[in-house]
Amino acid sequence: MNPELSQDLSLLHLVFNASLPVQLVMVLLLGASLMSWWFIFIKMFALKRAQRDTDRFEREFWGGGDINAMYQQVSTERGEAGEMARIFEAGFSEFMKLRRQAGMSASFIIDGTRRAMRATYQRELDGLEAHLSFLATVGSVSPYVGLFGTVWGIMIAFVGLSSVAQATLAQVAPGIAEALIATAMGLFAAIPAVVGYNRYTHDIDRLANRMESFMEEFSNILQRQTPTAA
Amino acid sequence: MNFQADAPFVSRPRSNLIAGALALGVHIVFVLLLVFGVSWQTRHPAPVMVDLWEAPPPVTQSAAVKPSKPPAPVKAPAPVKAVPPPPPAVKTPPAVKAPPTLKAPDIALEKKKAEAERLQKLQITQAAEEKARADAAKKAQEKQLAEQKKRELLRQMEEEDLARRMADEAAASEARQVKLAEAQAKQAEAKAKQAEAAAASKRQAELAGVVGQYRDLISAKVRGNTRLPDNLTGNPQVRCLVKVLPTGEVVSVRVTQSSGNPAYDDAVVRAIEKSSPLPLPDDRAARVAFVPELSFVHRPKE
Repeated sequence: MNPELSQDLSLLHLVFNASLPVQLVMVLLLGASLMSWWFIFIKMFALKRAQRDTDRFEREFWGGGDINAMYQQVSTERGEAGEMARIFEAGFSEFMKLRRQAGMSASFIIDGTRRAMRATYQRELDGLEAHLSFLATVGSVSPYVGLFGTVWGIMIAFVGLSSVAQATLAQVAPGIAEALIATAMGLFAAIPAVVGYNRYTHDIDRLANRMESFMEEFSNILQRQTPTAA
Repeated sequence: MNFQADAPFVSRPRSNLIAGALALGVHIVFVLLLVFGVSWQTRHPAPVMVDLWEAPPPVTQSAAVKPSKPPAPVKAPAPVKAVPPPPPAVKTPPAVKAPPTLKAPDIALEKKKAEAERLQKLQITQAAEEKARADAAKKAQEKQLAEQKKRELLRQMEEEDLARRMADEAAASEARQVKLAEAQAKQAEAKAKQAEAAAASKRQAELAGVVGQYRDLISAKVRGNTRLPDNLTGNPQVRCLVKVLPTGEVVSVRVTQSSGNPAYDDAVVRAIEKSSPLPLPDDRAARVAFVPELSFVHRPKE
């Protein structure tokens, strides 16, 4: 009944005084935000490394080194070599194996090599795209979750208001402020997730383009090397 | 067939821990920024609604007396005190709005006046003291002379006579000393009384502050519970006499001066009853202003 003359509206006070559903929503959103930032940083490091490795491999490959030596080096340290190097390694090892078998036509050999490279390419792309769907989900869903918390909190604030004879703004303000924090947290989780998702899908697309181009170019080189027996 | 040699290489993602630490860091920085960087509204100014109330005479007067009182004089002896200067500018009760700020100039004047008075009194008492001291010195000299004469006389006197006179002398000096001690005690007593008076007036001022604060609280509570009737026009005033228990419980409300609008009178009475228990100060002395009954004036607008 007695309207409090001074109300503490500090952030922590609002969070800890919120009703249970709103607090649950806040915890959920905090967890989503933590996870999405975690994946954002993982992807950031992984994509940086992938770009660096790809740059280095292309420089070496087109720099006129010995292909056999390069193949030896890549196959001994596959974990460090990078995505494009692994595609090269898969294709070249398949090419060597096929060439050793007698009676293989050139188109057969090249087709087999391309299939091996494509399989590795798919696998590498899958590794690069891992966790991106989580970012997309957080980006699209967490505003709604936050909104749910807010609606719930405002509902409770107004239910409490109905038992008061003379309604003043001061009686609903804390409840609404509490509830709105849920929306703020939802947006806080969603915005970085959406930005990260868009940025990383773009980066991965560009990497995929580079790898596909390399596959085509490498197939051409191998085709030129194949004796046209048939 | 064995395909182990053809097994594809699956790369494992790395630096998960670093990424996790960075994610945590982002959140901690953000929360700290929000908590300490953004200054949320944390304090509301206390409502000032003093003009709603009749000033209870004893307390407001003491509030007026307090600031004009000179600081306890250090050496001045007893009778200087206990002449409270005239209360400054407490004209009509409704004018007692926000006491400390509005009264500042009056207080300054009053202080100056009191200071002058005090100095004058100090001078007078000092002069009196000096005179007394000179008198005492003179007396002592005379006494010495008399004693010398006496001694000469004594030499010529008989033994028993001398002994008797000596005894007399001793008794007299003893009496003098007792007198001196008495005077000193009196002075000390006067000083103590003065300090007591100062403490009392200070306490009264404190009480006045507490009383005003709780008057605001009660007024705010009643105002929050008041539902004004629709046909109310203007700003009519209702005066009620509220009987209150020491716990703040409202026993009865009686309208002593109607606003002319019965619906509005009823609304105010209901609001007061609804506000039971009223907030009352814990201080027993401050509560005297509210218990057992208090006069309450209500207007729809301030």
